[in-house]
Amino acid sequence: MTGSKSTEIRVKGIREGILLGLNNHSAPFAELLQRLQEELAEKRTFLKGSRIVLDVGDHLLQRTQLAQIQTLLSENEMELWTVLAEPAATREAARALGLATRLAGSNTDLDGNDLAIGSAAQAGLEAEASSGANALLVLETIRSGRSVQHEGHVTILGDVNPGAQIIARGHVVVWGRLRGMVHAGASGDASAVICALQLTPTQLRIANHIAIPPEEQQPALFPEMASVRDGQIVAEPWRVRE
Amino acid sequence: MHAKVITVTSGKGGVGKTTVTANLAAALAMLGKRVAAIDSDIGLRNLDVVMGLENRIVYDLVDVVEGRCRLSQAMIRDKRFAELYLIPAAQTRDKMAVSPSDMVLVCDQLRPDMDYVVIDSPAGIERGFRNAIAPADQVIVVTNPEVSAVRDADRIIGLIEAEEKGPGQLIINRIKPSMVARGDMLSIADVLDILAIDLLGVVPEDEAILISSNRGLPVAMSATNSASASQAFRNIAQRLEGNDVPILDLAPQSGILSRLRNWVRGE
Repeated sequence: MTGSKSTEIRVKGIREGILLGLNNHSAPFAELLQRLQEELAEKRTFLKGSRIVLDVGDHLLQRTQLAQIQTLLSENEMELWTVLAEPAATREAARALGLATRLAGSNTDLDGNDLAIGSAAQAGLEAEASSGANALLVLETIRSGRSVQHEGHVTILGDVNPGAQIIARGHVVVWGRLRGMVHAGASGDASAVICALQLTPTQLRIANHIAIPPEEQQPALFPEMASVRDGQIVAEPWRVRE
Repeated sequence: MHAKVITVTSGKGGVGKTTVTANLAAALAMLGKRVAAIDSDIGLRNLDVVMGLENRIVYDLVDVVEGRCRLSQAMIRDKRFAELYLIPAAQTRDKMAVSPSDMVLVCDQLRPDMDYVVIDSPAGIERGFRNAIAPADQVIVVTNPEVSAVRDADRIIGLIEAEEKGPGQLIINRIKPSMVARGDMLSIADVLDILAIDLLGVVPEDEAILISSNRGLPVAMSATNSASASQAFRNIAQRLEGNDVPILDLAPQSGILSRLRNWVRGE
């Protein structure tokens, strides 16, 4: 193959399947895709039938671009199931396609070195270097089957439908109807709150508290805020805290 | 002339994707359109049975994709219409026999000679579903007025949006106005409240559907059929053509129900 040496693709067997790593951070997407295509053509017989973990490094990829990669792999009889990426937007795009964004239960990093598992990883969040209290803004309705996970606060401008879940280390604000599951303060912060214009969730979690709303709940006609009070999750009309 | 490719999907099985596909294809053909219906449910084909064309299958979609025949050889002409064709699925293979790009290629070949290509999607969200929506210009999501079907439709709409095929348009199938009136079934407004997409049509529960499916005669085919479902499908075809057929959608909650009841009786 005569692919440019500047866009190397790492291929490595790991416990979860085959790791494909995209190295060149500045390469345009078209070039990446072409390199990947060449690499797959070359190693098809070896890689055929394997489950692929794609490490895109700090590439910022859109859903459609990830979908193109997914199609390319599936045409080569490989199944993409995990995308590892540094930018939160790329991970969010991968999740929108139903892909995992971390190696579940893995205690080794990408090079096979042992990792110390932090409490964040145990809480089901991505173990990452502390990225500060950044917030994620999602400008659409989260439909059934989607999971939005973020290390900071999360704001949704839209509904959270039944079957969808939001997991945040900080607070969660839903500017819309909250009918799915939200977990705020997911790494143990019981001071986190959940606000929604219409709070009719299937379940709420704050830190390690879980609340199931009463059956036949009538939606309140005003926005509500849920927080932990005396060891219980309590919903009350949403107003500025004293 | 470029055909519009419409994919009919649902997520959940058994909500009426195949019935909707067969009847829309027939209703569009009745309007004089050139229509190709494609069954993408490889391994579990049904569309040929519902359209009454099962015994005329020689070649199928997989034969086309794998180069064993030309596309035109796999197109079964429905003699009841000027131009209605079926491209059947293979029964002996599985979804992996076709890729999303194969589907795009097949549809691109059909586009110059057709007005509509209607694709019947398999249930589920895996490869078969991805195959079915890859070539779509427009996606129709079929659901029933029940919680599990609506949940799956919501999931499917999310996936369609992720593929940038728009949110799709909704057909609510098998609604029973009497049950809705008693509060025992989700109403149209309840379904739209969750899914929040455009309503393309509402098809009432109708025994004529089961009878006609068994006979291989889509209800929409008989223009004199007074069955309410038959009229509903013909109305949906009109709407796809851009005609503003007065319907049940977009009216307020109570209005929908009373109009639906009138409409079922009145036709």
